[in-house]
Amino acid sequence: MQIPLTFWDISLWLAVTAITLLITAELISPYYGQTNLHINKKKLKNAALIMGILFLITVAIRIYGIITAP
Amino acid sequence: MATKTNAKKPKEFKVNIRFSTRMVAYTILILGLISLAASAFYASSILAFIGLGLTFWGALLLYITPTRYVKLDLLNAIAPSTLANIEKMLTSSKLNEKGIYLPPKYLRDFESSLVFIPSKNNKTLPRPGEIDEEKLYSKNPDGLFLTPPGLALSKLFEKELGTSFTKTDLNYIQNNLPKLLIEEMEIAENVEVEIKDNLITVEIANHIFSEVCEETRKLQKTHETIGCTLSSAIACALAKATGKPITILKEEQTQDGKTTKIQYRIIED
Repeated sequence: MQIPLTFWDISLWLAVTAITLLITAELISPYYGQTNLHINKKKLKNAALIMGILFLITVAIRIYGIITAP
Repeated sequence: MATKTNAKKPKEFKVNIRFSTRMVAYTILILGLISLAASAFYASSILAFIGLGLTFWGALLLYITPTRYVKLDLLNAIAPSTLANIEKMLTSSKLNEKGIYLPPKYLRDFESSLVFIPSKNNKTLPRPGEIDEEKLYSKNPDGLFLTPPGLALSKLFEKELGTSFTKTDLNYIQNNLPKLLIEEMEIAENVEVEIKDNLITVEIANHIFSEVCEETRKLQKTHETIGCTLSSAIACALAKATGKPITILKEEQTQDGKTTKIQYRIIED
């Protein structure tokens, strides 16, 4: 029994999520008028940045793998 | 009876919405975890992707929703009574001069702020370190010490910036105040800070304190000596950053009521 996701699957998922969150965090308006769901923009931005950094780490690992491969 | 029922309805509705948002987030999170466990059991990558996504969005929804929000009407209802008390105090003390926001070197508590309203226009300030912050009246020179109405707000600015204004300078205020008020605190739509010699002009567009400031304008003495909550908070920040006494020269609103222009003067002590 093991999670059927490879390192590259997770890297791709991180890339898609990071892009979605980063675009949302940048485009979201501080004046969203009457809404039932209030969003803390600062926390959303932090989450987006963390996902972006995690994706970049996976990219760095891949580059390192390519360089050191015989 | 009918009025009572109508008054209760919106409250219950709001509580339910907040509760349901968290319920939805928890449900997504739990479904995601179940899906992840099932993906491991059935060796299905599709289930794993679904689980990963649901777990992430469930956790994110819980993280980004703030615990509490209050209506702007509540702020507008609280502030005027405090300012009305200041107006009463100024009227009974027969003080007409402009208030001087004292820098930390005049005070025992460096993180606090005090506004001094002199009884005569002789510009004499109390000596640094000789101020008893507990006292309301000063005899040498004659005047009144008040806690600025914007003190708590300026402390909130410091908390958001993660630094004390005493450790900063005017350039820091000019560069960081717009970002703080627009992006971080979402108080205003646009902020411009202009520094010319000892004059500082702050222009704030579409801010949430416009109604409070409008109310302050009705209290003539408070408006002329101390200013409204927002201009008072910025004055406290400027006094701390410059280390010099600050006075509010002018505070005016454009005809459409959308932009407030505040002019401060640095007093050379």
